[in-house]
Amino acid sequence: MTTSFELGLRRGVIVTGKWNRGRYRVERMLGEGANGKVFLVQRERDKGWYALKVGANAVDLQSEINVLKSLAGQNRSSGTGSFLIDVDDLCAMDGSEHPFYVMRYVRGATLSEYLERSGPEWFPLVGYNLLLKLSGLHDAGWAFGDLKVENVLVADYGRVELVDYGGVTAFGKSVRQFTEIYDRGYWNAGSRTADAGYDLFSFAVMCIQLHEKRKLAQMAASLLPQNRSPEELMKLVQHNNALRPLSGWLGGALTGRFANGREAAAAWQRLMHRPGGNRRAGAVPGWMKAMFMASAALLAVTIYWYVRS
Amino acid sequence: MYQILLITDGCSNVGVNPVVAAATAQSEGIVVNVVGVVDQGELGDYGKAEIEEIARAGGGMSRLVNTRQLSQTVQMMTRKTVVQTIQLAVQKELKQVLGTDGKIEELPPDKRGEVVRVIDELGETTGLRVALVIDASASMKPKLHAVEEAIRDLMLSLQARQGQSELAVFHFPGTSYGDDCTLDLDWTTDLKGVTSIFPKLQMRGTTPTGPALMRVIDFCREDRYGRRSKDETDGMMGDYVV
Ligand SMILES: Nc1ncnc2c1ncn2[C@@H]1O[C@H](COP(=O)(O)OP(=O)(O)OP(=O)(O)O)[C@@H](O)[C@H]1O
Repeated sequence: MTTSFELGLRRGVIVTGKWNRGRYRVERMLGEGANGKVFLVQRERDKGWYALKVGANAVDLQSEINVLKSLAGQNRSSGTGSFLIDVDDLCAMDGSEHPFYVMRYVRGATLSEYLERSGPEWFPLVGYNLLLKLSGLHDAGWAFGDLKVENVLVADYGRVELVDYGGVTAFGKSVRQFTEIYDRGYWNAGSRTADAGYDLFSFAVMCIQLHEKRKLAQMAASLLPQNRSPEELMKLVQHNNALRPLSGWLGGALTGRFANGREAAAAWQRLMHRPGGNRRAGAVPGWMKAMFMASAALLAVTIYWYVRS
Repeated sequence: MYQILLITDGCSNVGVNPVVAAATAQSEGIVVNVVGVVDQGELGDYGKAEIEEIARAGGGMSRLVNTRQLSQTVQMMTRKTVVQTIQLAVQKELKQVLGTDGKIEELPPDKRGEVVRVIDELGETTGLRVALVIDASASMKPKLHAVEEAIRDLMLSLQARQGQSELAVFHFPGTSYGDDCTLDLDWTTDLKGVTSIFPKLQMRGTTPTGPALMRVIDFCREDRYGRRSKDETDGMMGDYVV
């Protein structure tokens, strides 16, 4: 259901807001989805880098802005900087007008890229940071909704940012936007009403997606709709060495056993620090191993010289 | 609010023109959406054009999809149509108040927020009834399990809404000889007890899309009228009328 539209926002083009007169120089496109296109831009006023999202539909984009605004209101009291910078309309080359908003630019890789580059040892920490992010939303009464690998950006040292607020839904309402394979309803594991458990379910599927992408896709394609279930998903967990240590937690998230995001995050944290928890599964960092080997070698050399002399 | 969703894979070939039927629905305030299910692209240019025309006349949208995309498409279309219907109603109000086109885009960004908040709220809480009209001609037979799955999936999405949400299912041509369409499932909020939506279908050669749509429009009209007179005594008028 992609609505594509031609904007002609090439590198170097200056976008001027119709109402607030903010001026932004386009650098490149960052990404594109069902609701619009996102560009990396530089604001003329302060030369700062931002992300500018142009919407295909004014009402859909405004819903997203409304969510970002009310989150900004909640964040102001907690002291975190605002994500939403500017809201305006732009005039495209052909004279048509399009609504856009400007947000903080998240300098990061998508979750799967990040883990590929930095190594799987970062997975527990990134997961924990993501659970904290989700808990922040849950505390304010929102579910993220469309949680999936593509919507999680990771910056240095595993710091996590969520992008695409088009699925964010107040608790108790029907989830606005979701992706089938991450959807609790699709797996016959509960409703499509927004609550903390909805996001935690998607989070668990995301863990499986990160480790067993192919088998998950195969399973979704081959199972009869009525046979999709958390138990089937747990089979994938049991077959994977990295996921097996998490099976208690994942089972809990897939069957709605956590009361809220905080409880789930705390349980995840206990898992991270459990003696022989994820570390036993061969997750000793490479550099530590190397240092250990180096010092063992050094010791051997020292002893050799000591004995010789 | 009433919506008709037509799921088909071919051209109509008997009876009243389905485009006329869809326009009739639209004039009664019922939006008609159309999904063409094409697994091997068997739908020709003529079929494609007809599907687009029906949707345009019915004030709705049309999509061509394969069976794997059916659930997601049906769910998204229904949701978008709710928002659009409410948006149109809100625009009408704005037009009267502001004397402009009433388009959301014309408002300054800081005013848009409040209007869209109202649209979103109504979109979640308005009563909604979706009548599904399923083409059960011979070529659709292998696709009917996907259709059934999409219907169950839609029910799940409707159940998550805050507003009262129901669906009804028809297939055409009808089961008994000479019938344009058959009601398989009257308005319901739950499909749990329903083991099979289309039990023992008789596949027939004709595709009376237009006559089937007319039947379903009648069904909705009677339902709306019945409810309205009942609601007048209940004092809950207007829940299904936008
Ligand atoms: N603030 C940001 N900083 C950096 N990159 C971003 C930012 N926001 C979005 N992106 C990039 O742009 C892509 C598309 O953005 P987004 O997901 O918001 O669009 P969408 O149209 O809502 O997509 P979807 O189809 O998933 O709903 C993202 O996947 C991400 O890579």
